[in-house]
Amino acid sequence: MFRIPFLVALSLAIAFGGGIASAVWALKATVGFGSIAIGPWVAFPEAQTANADPYAKAHRARAGELLYGGAEGLMFSAQVDDKGEKLQASCSYDVAGLTPQARFWTFYAANDDGQPLRPGSDLPSALNSWTVLRSENSNFTIHVSPNAQPDNWLAIRHSGTFRLVLTLLDTPTAGSSGLIDLAMPVITRTGCGDA
Amino acid sequence: MRSVLFVTVLGLVGAALLHIIIVLALPQFTGRDAYTRVLGLLEMDSFFALTSTPGPTGLANDDPYLRTAVCSFSIEDGPARFLASGNVPFWSLAVFDSNSNEVFSMNDHTAVNGKLDLVVATPIQLVELRKSPPEALAQSIMVEMKEQDGYAVLRAMAPVDSFEEQVRNFLAESNCEPFRR
Repeated sequence: MFRIPFLVALSLAIAFGGGIASAVWALKATVGFGSIAIGPWVAFPEAQTANADPYAKAHRARAGELLYGGAEGLMFSAQVDDKGEKLQASCSYDVAGLTPQARFWTFYAANDDGQPLRPGSDLPSALNSWTVLRSENSNFTIHVSPNAQPDNWLAIRHSGTFRLVLTLLDTPTAGSSGLIDLAMPVITRTGCGDA
Repeated sequence: MRSVLFVTVLGLVGAALLHIIIVLALPQFTGRDAYTRVLGLLEMDSFFALTSTPGPTGLANDDPYLRTAVCSFSIEDGPARFLASGNVPFWSLAVFDSNSNEVFSMNDHTAVNGKLDLVVATPIQLVELRKSPPEALAQSIMVEMKEQDGYAVLRAMAPVDSFEEQVRNFLAESNCEPFRR
């Protein structure tokens, strides 16, 4: 006797539950299509334009961030290391190499929502192209670690996973789609725990 | 049993439809998109410098080395003019419309003499400006914007702490005002 109402309720529950859950999941999981990826580094050069896809537009309307314009810069972020494993706040990483051509770059760690981590004013929480120490061939190695390190140290005081954000300012990278030959720094895990 | 399968498939089709509707309609009613947040600062026609911790509207200087100022403007009654000058290592400006689509962006190397002097106008206002160019706008960059409302984001870089004061002055002295002849 309750068969028809039950079937209608089941259908509606699947439609609304599935529709809302999948939309929320899709907007959390990705910023949209049109990403460029260099190793673990991902950037969305068109996310702020009118050409952005509907997912990118919905995502930026929900996030409400001030995005970089094409002539301003391009923000790369990495959530995994070069082996594809998530960046853990208890582990140490080396970020080594060169960035694509840019007038400036800034480098910091952020939480999973993209908010910068603030380990405290007495700890190095960010680096930029002026302050980084380089070797003779102008390559750099940044030690991302919860423990103090010599040379370039980016302090992490966080729990769980985090992401690394490398912003290139005034870069031809933002306008070009031929990004494949560009090199980004390599992220390698050097150890976990207190060791 | 067959009818359960049928309503499950029906439910999934409905879920797919609803998914598409939500994604397409979301930008219109999130209430926390960048334009709404900039409007929430209640500072029309002047640059508002953001702090490093999120304020009441959730906007903040996300990048530790970039100081950001935002300004909402409307060109319904006349063009908007953006002015800034000063000695900072890097500055950039991006103009967005009320849907947060980029209208124009520039940095200090693409500016005349490294100074920001930009006029944003509707196509009709731009025709009038070109017909009889005011003397004050001889050096200005003119940009056409189809929407009437929008916001501008001005960023200046302080790579080391000693630039902090210069950057603060640069942002404090920047202008975002309606242009009147």
